[in-house]
Amino acid sequence: MTHVKICGLMEEQHVKAASQADAIGFVFAPSKRRVSIERAQELARLATNDMQRIGVFVNASYEEIDEAVKTVPLTMVQLHGDEPDELIRRIEVPVIQAFSIRTPDDVEKLNKSIADYILVDAPGTDYRGGSGHVFDWSLLENVDLDHSRLILAGGLNRDNVQAAISQTAPFMVDVSSGVETDGRKDEAKIQQFILQAKGDSMERTQEKTIDPVGFFGRYGGQFVPETLMKAVKELEAAYEEAKNDPGFQEEYQHYLSEYVGREQPLTFAARMTEAWGGPKIYLKREDLNHTGAHKVNNAIGQALLAQRMGKRKIVAETGAGQHGVATATICALFDLDCVVFMGEEDIKRQQLNVFRMKLLGARVESVTKGSGTLKDAVNEALRYWVTNVEDTHYLIGSALGPHPFPTMVRDFQSVIGLETKRQILDKEGRLPDAIVACVGGGSNAIGMFHPFVGDEKVRLIGAEAAGEGVDTERHAATLTKGSEGVLHGAMMKILQDDAGQVQEAHSISAGLDYPGIGPEHAHLADSGRVTYQAITDDEALASVIEMSRLEGIIPALESAHAVAEAKKQAQSMTADELLVICVSGRGDKDMATYAEKLEGLS
Amino acid sequence: MKRLAELKRAGHKAFVAYIMAGDGGIEKLGEQIQYLQERGVTAIEVGIPFSDPVADGPTIEAAGNRALDEGITLEKVLDAMQRFDFEVKVPLIIMTYLNPVIRFGAERFTQEAKKAGASGVIIPDLPFEHRQLIEPFAKQQELALIQLVTLTTIDSRLEEILKEAQGFVYAVTVTGITGSRDELAEEVGAFTRKVRELSPVPVYAGFGISKESHVDMLRDDVDGFIVGSAIVQAFHEGRIEGVEPLIDAVTAPHSV
Repeated sequence: MTHVKICGLMEEQHVKAASQADAIGFVFAPSKRRVSIERAQELARLATNDMQRIGVFVNASYEEIDEAVKTVPLTMVQLHGDEPDELIRRIEVPVIQAFSIRTPDDVEKLNKSIADYILVDAPGTDYRGGSGHVFDWSLLENVDLDHSRLILAGGLNRDNVQAAISQTAPFMVDVSSGVETDGRKDEAKIQQFILQAKGDSMERTQEKTIDPVGFFGRYGGQFVPETLMKAVKELEAAYEEAKNDPGFQEEYQHYLSEYVGREQPLTFAARMTEAWGGPKIYLKREDLNHTGAHKVNNAIGQALLAQRMGKRKIVAETGAGQHGVATATICALFDLDCVVFMGEEDIKRQQLNVFRMKLLGARVESVTKGSGTLKDAVNEALRYWVTNVEDTHYLIGSALGPHPFPTMVRDFQSVIGLETKRQILDKEGRLPDAIVACVGGGSNAIGMFHPFVGDEKVRLIGAEAAGEGVDTERHAATLTKGSEGVLHGAMMKILQDDAGQVQEAHSISAGLDYPGIGPEHAHLADSGRVTYQAITDDEALASVIEMSRLEGIIPALESAHAVAEAKKQAQSMTADELLVICVSGRGDKDMATYAEKLEGLS
Repeated sequence: MKRLAELKRAGHKAFVAYIMAGDGGIEKLGEQIQYLQERGVTAIEVGIPFSDPVADGPTIEAAGNRALDEGITLEKVLDAMQRFDFEVKVPLIIMTYLNPVIRFGAERFTQEAKKAGASGVIIPDLPFEHRQLIEPFAKQQELALIQLVTLTTIDSRLEEILKEAQGFVYAVTVTGITGSRDELAEEVGAFTRKVRELSPVPVYAGFGISKESHVDMLRDDVDGFIVGSAIVQAFHEGRIEGVEPLIDAVTAPHSV
């Protein structure tokens, strides 16, 4: 799908009107749309998390550009002057270089640019940086041009943008004066332009299909007892408000960088790449987060939200204990009361994490009902919440539960995909060909996938737990074997029998041992945007050994499922392709299991 | 369900008993219903066991697990009800979580429930917002889709729910799950009075009602009581006679 950039923004309401766009632009060069760095910083805070923030410069110094990149902060830089290649190389974020197109000769220059993206525009008039005039799009035909780098600008408006896209197939369209009335941005025109540019494919973006009560296609909703409806509605309103509050986002980002230690590297796995003989393998290192997994990204966000709502008591469920540890950690940091429900089976498997939670001051409640695993821990946490709803926030750990949890958890985890996108563009100058992440409830995967869902060329693959095999009774392969049903507050896909009783899941990995899958994943599976494959316990264990020995990174059992699936994917990929694996957590918590299962390993 | 409105007009209080279908075997279902209607209960809620009953406390969950161990399903319960060989004299209400209904098929569920002699349906995890999943089918079969209101239901929402109330209103008298309690919160009386003022149908208090003292406390503010855990446990332990004073305390004519 073609991306949309709304450029030359100066006012708050126009940034908000552009919320469905993929990028917004601020002009720092002389222009009637020029803004200061401070102003751009204020405006950028209103943009949604996964939106590119692009600064437009004409012959500025490196220092000026760098200051804007760091202060606003900008995720991309767009250059309209005669900037030398040395400058372009020094800029730390992806660079867009603009060219004016008059003649076929001008088109030749495009391929020589070393920038990540090339923007084509009609020649400027008073100022450099675009004139709002249309150039002859046919000049771009019959030339050898990488259209995935192409950004089309110049005289676009809601009436001609569809034609422009079909003629030039650009990566992104860029509009400024085409969405203005009397020299000022026009909210209605902005929204109409985005709709026109995205056309029918807009239907396929999942945001569009969420109705007001939080459905992803047919999945989601708020299927909770009436006692919880007030809390769920309050949370929905509070999150909506917090999401759009720059102060909240700033605080969240502050803890991500200062406490969690973000951003995490996208590590090139040279030895895995060599051993597998296929694509270049990159590892997104969520294992390096404080507390050892991606779970803390969400725990911080929700804990901040709980305090904003005046709730100082937290209840959580945990499977492998990573979410429990992350929650207990944040509760210690913010001095919140914390109770964590954990299945007794999981308590046995993950004793280290149980001790960590206790050390951090949390109360760990053993759940002996049902299979004594994650599903039963969620039941107990929900019951606890029903009983203590007035002063307690349920800090759910995966992209599950009643709306707004699936959306909120996804948003807090999207930092994974957003960083990955920026990093791969920085390292490789293009998006990956495939991304693999493991799915239990699905939070690390949805956080990784979400920013890429609109990039149709990026294949997204979820690895779920096949346990002892999907043809046995002992697995957790919800998307391979499950069917539509309601569990824990949402319509999703679940493992169930003919009578609608939810079945027990099995996986060697406590974190994937869940018989449901979050509603957004269920929807992405139905729409075909993401494919889901099942990985057995044995395959995951083999990947633990392989990755440990090849890269010196001991993955969590959950993440090892993604590694195993990535290895399969790599078989049919070529050396010029890029494959990213989300390493959702490190293996410290799984040492007892590894020691037992991998005994005798030489 | 008309009978419930008549009872209210006559100034009598209703006693609604909840049982877990198939706890102790499917053959117990008919026996328990017969026993309760002879003891003078006003209506009976027939609970369907579910693997993940998040609104229920330990007593009903344990009963549900026993029923599941007996292989009880929604289909088996409806089937057994259709084959009762005695006259059902009180309204029967199916109480089930949503997932078994979705799996069974919403339309088929309402058709079979009607054939099974049910007058209404309660689905605790189907909020008012999503009632469209079931209500159109329930309407076709003239089954009341009974709504729950709770201490945490905000006023504007309460009005909306009550405007469309059918059969009776289930007023949840605790902020929590089902199960016996020693004390009910003071605010309960004010809450049930408010609900009763707004409701076009009788208002019954449920969740946590297990003692005559609860009945005494709320008698003037509700049209009836729903008793679940206390009955389920008494049947399980073979001492249902112990609940009779509670039934009598509600249903016996009471001087005001």
